[in-house]
Amino acid sequence: MPPKSKGAGDKNLKSKSPAEFFQDNKGIAGFENAGKSLYTTLREFIENSLDSAESIGVLPDVDIAVEEVTLSQYEDLIGLKAHVRKDSALYADIETDKEKQKRLKEEAKAAAKAAKGGKGDAGGGGRKGGAKSFFRITVKDNGKGMAHDDIPNMLGRVLSGTKYGVRQTRGKFGLGSKMALIWSKQTTGLPIKITSAQPKSKFTSRYVLDINMEKNEPNVHSAEKTPNDSAWHGAELSVIIEGNWTTYRNKVLSYLRQLAIVTPYAQFHFRYESAGGDARQNVDATFRRRTEVMPAPPTTTKHHPSAAKENQLLIKDLLSQTREKTLQAFLNKEFTCISKEYAGRLVAELGKGFEPGMSPKEVSDTQGTRIQQLLCDARFADPDGACLSPAGEYNLRLGIMKELAPDWIASYVGPALASQGHPLIVEACVSLGGKDVKSGFNVFRFANRIPLLFEAGSDVVTRCVQRLNWGSYKIDKNNDKIGVFVSIVSTKIPFKGTSKEYIGDDNTEIAEAVDRAIRGCATQLKGKIVRAQAAKERKARKKVLTRYIPDVANAIAIMISASAEAAEPPSKRCKWGPGAPSNGGKLWQVDPVFEGKLLEQVRNGDVQRSTIERKLSDFVERMDSEQALEHSMQNKEGLSETMHLVPTGPVHKFAPTVHHPTCAFRLLDTLCAGGFLPRGDLK
Amino acid sequence: MDEVLSKVHALETAVKCRPELRKTLNDLNLNEAYREVVDLPGVEVAAAIEQVMIAIADTILRNEGFGYSLPSRGNTDQVYVEQLDRIVLKEKHTFTTFHNTSSVRKVAILTRVMQLIHGVLTRGIHVTKRDLFYTDVKLFRDQKDSDSVLDDISCLLGCTRNSLHVVASEKGVVVGKLTYTEDGDEIDCTKMGIGGKAIPSNIDEVDCFRSVAKFVLLVEKDAAFMRLAEDRFYNRFPCIIITAKGQPDVATRLFLSKLKRDLRIPVLALVDADPYGLKIISVYMQGSKNMAFDSANLTTPDIKWLGVRPSDLDKFKIPEQCRLEMSQKDIETGHHMLNEDFIQQNPKWVREVKMMLASKTKAEIQALSSYGFQYLSEVYLPLKLQEGDWI
Repeated sequence: MPPKSKGAGDKNLKSKSPAEFFQDNKGIAGFENAGKSLYTTLREFIENSLDSAESIGVLPDVDIAVEEVTLSQYEDLIGLKAHVRKDSALYADIETDKEKQKRLKEEAKAAAKAAKGGKGDAGGGGRKGGAKSFFRITVKDNGKGMAHDDIPNMLGRVLSGTKYGVRQTRGKFGLGSKMALIWSKQTTGLPIKITSAQPKSKFTSRYVLDINMEKNEPNVHSAEKTPNDSAWHGAELSVIIEGNWTTYRNKVLSYLRQLAIVTPYAQFHFRYESAGGDARQNVDATFRRRTEVMPAPPTTTKHHPSAAKENQLLIKDLLSQTREKTLQAFLNKEFTCISKEYAGRLVAELGKGFEPGMSPKEVSDTQGTRIQQLLCDARFADPDGACLSPAGEYNLRLGIMKELAPDWIASYVGPALASQGHPLIVEACVSLGGKDVKSGFNVFRFANRIPLLFEAGSDVVTRCVQRLNWGSYKIDKNNDKIGVFVSIVSTKIPFKGTSKEYIGDDNTEIAEAVDRAIRGCATQLKGKIVRAQAAKERKARKKVLTRYIPDVANAIAIMISASAEAAEPPSKRCKWGPGAPSNGGKLWQVDPVFEGKLLEQVRNGDVQRSTIERKLSDFVERMDSEQALEHSMQNKEGLSETMHLVPTGPVHKFAPTVHHPTCAFRLLDTLCAGGFLPRGDLK
Repeated sequence: MDEVLSKVHALETAVKCRPELRKTLNDLNLNEAYREVVDLPGVEVAAAIEQVMIAIADTILRNEGFGYSLPSRGNTDQVYVEQLDRIVLKEKHTFTTFHNTSSVRKVAILTRVMQLIHGVLTRGIHVTKRDLFYTDVKLFRDQKDSDSVLDDISCLLGCTRNSLHVVASEKGVVVGKLTYTEDGDEIDCTKMGIGGKAIPSNIDEVDCFRSVAKFVLLVEKDAAFMRLAEDRFYNRFPCIIITAKGQPDVATRLFLSKLKRDLRIPVLALVDADPYGLKIISVYMQGSKNMAFDSANLTTPDIKWLGVRPSDLDKFKIPEQCRLEMSQKDIETGHHMLNEDFIQQNPKWVREVKMMLASKTKAEIQALSSYGFQYLSEVYLPLKLQEGDWI
């Protein structure tokens, strides 16, 4: 409550409501500027929709619409009559003579530039900075909807929400959609429109409301119930905000594409309509559902004891809130990874003044601190990842194959680990090749199944990717098209900074887990790459070897003919011939008889360059066919033989043969165990 | 003067009295087989190459392809033999074949380089590595590729690198009380100005060492060498000054080795007080791992470490600003050196290295310049020599 200033107090002392605080510090929640606000508003609405549909086990179906609102439409909306200007010099957007000269000069410059081949300014003579653009954002889902009476509080009060607690959710602070409302109030002053129905509800709730900043309270303009004849359930939120579509268009689209990768079981329909009726700028994209398999929803869990290290107050909070009757039961029930027996040992270790049967309410503050100390020092198993809902290797692969169509893909799921007392799972996929993928690294980051688009440079995933020695996995980090997808899920993602955009690299546990996951994928890929290279090499082998034949044959021919021309054979000239005391003779042995024969052949032209060349080519040819055979033996390709399997069981009865232009087959009349369908019949 | 050099005299006499006994592998009767190469005259090397070719032609004509049995020169194949006080190569071979895609290029280059060397040898001339590379740029592509097979060839033929008549460009410099003949020309190293005489790549032509020098001063750096040459240090203290400007090349090592064998005077080393300086002494003394097969000709045993030693930093009160912090890599190298056999066998050296690692500081020879540019030649070295402060 804002204290009334009394005579003695400082007159400047003021209190701020949470809504006012967030209005002043919009950057914390990702509302730094018009463009980012448009993006964040969309993001918050879409993520709420997904959470909502998943919570009731429905495959999410989200309709997103962004419609540009012209200034005159906007003025109509707020009931402002278009004003005919009387004193035009009063307005900032009317140029003074000085400004006009400046503009003309700049335009001349721009025109000269455009003539050189650059693209002209789209705005023409208009003033770019002054023009604000407004957008109506509407997001409709098929989720669980909201109870009629809860709607004002859920949307009109900052820091109220249903997602608090130890559970993996996309949103966390109860801030997102309210921030959108604050932003709309601040930039357009228009309220939010909500339509919602809960499953099996007979009516649909319709609200128009905004937020009272000073009191952090909802301000309901109108509320009504209309019959829900179509048995629809879900929510539709619509706000009009100031935004910037041109600069954030690509961000919004890549957000949706990445979201489609990580949630392939959801269907998104996105529509953008520009105000001018200019159809070229319109976007209409559907991200189709590609699977109906939805990951199991996350469940609410308890704190891991190691959370005591991070939060000194946690133990005291839990002690005062618990419904458990004894200390032992308190430790056992309020934390994960403490069995009843282990709780008993912990209580015994706590020392004097602690009894397993004492009530948690009796624990004093100092004793609470002692419990906290012990929980910090004791050894506990890592938290169980069962409460989490990772994207799943299958889903990730599916999404990547659809979006990037890579040549190769490998996935890896790490075991759950504890990060600041919260279970955390790292999943990774590494893909190679694909269409429309640029060479080098393409890093895609997901946290609690939300794509992260900003601050990529400082993120732990990007750093790990850069640190990894890709060469040792036979991957060329500059020329290969490498896609790295890392999805981290946790009951609490340790985001760095205020906006939820990246995870710091200083968190060694996570950095190691990410590194391990990426390595796991790279190792799988290495095997495939090596096999592919060996196959390629085998094919290229003949070509490679043949390329060197002329060089080698020429060199050998020159040397032996020099030898033949010499007065004495080399074995006579060389003291270090066979049988020499030192190393000289050990490496090669020349039969003097052969030496004489060969030199004679060289002299009379029986052995010359072409002879050596031919012999080498023959040899390479023979080696190649031998190797090819060996290779196919190892890989069992081309060696399979069609066999006719004779039924060993009792004689089958067949149904009449079914004929088709490509094949004919007979079905077994009754399925007999131990029998085979003869392969010949399949023809 | 004689008073100052009395300790040097004593050392010189001791060196001269010691029987000059270059042990070779054959004298040692070791259980394990090691491989060493010998100097061979050009015609014999040419004949050896022809023999290899005839052996190869044999297998080719028998339709068996061909390959070379090359000595393995990996890290584990290079061993330090204490009795010899140098690194030698184990007798172990790998067969490198033409029909393997990973080795075909090497075999082709090897064959081509042998042909080129054969031509050089039969004509009785010398060429540089660069000449060799430029004869067939298309095949060699990179000079490293044609250079690297030279070691393989000399191992294969059992001759020294020098016997192949392929030389590197000149790098080492010598100045001081020394006269010798190079390819018939009389060279007087006292009349070489301040730049000194370049040590010829083709050491075969160097002969007839004559000198009144009492010791050889081995200098790591060009800068220190120039200082000593300009100050005519060798006129005040009769000596021969040699530098290879950093990591010593084959020619400089051969030159020093020959000098030591012929003149039998002590060799004193002046290097930086860092692990790298020590590494340079080690290459002169026991050979580099790369050329382990030729260590007999390239090494000079019994080099004394004169300075700048880690203990000198405090002894000569080198100011803090001239001492450098050792990098992580320096410290690693230092620890690595500590485990090397050649350091281990001299307890005084071990003490110095330990001192360097404990203080984590290093210094260059130039650190002495903080007392004036001529401090090195006028104070430091005379003091060191007088005290006989070498280890």
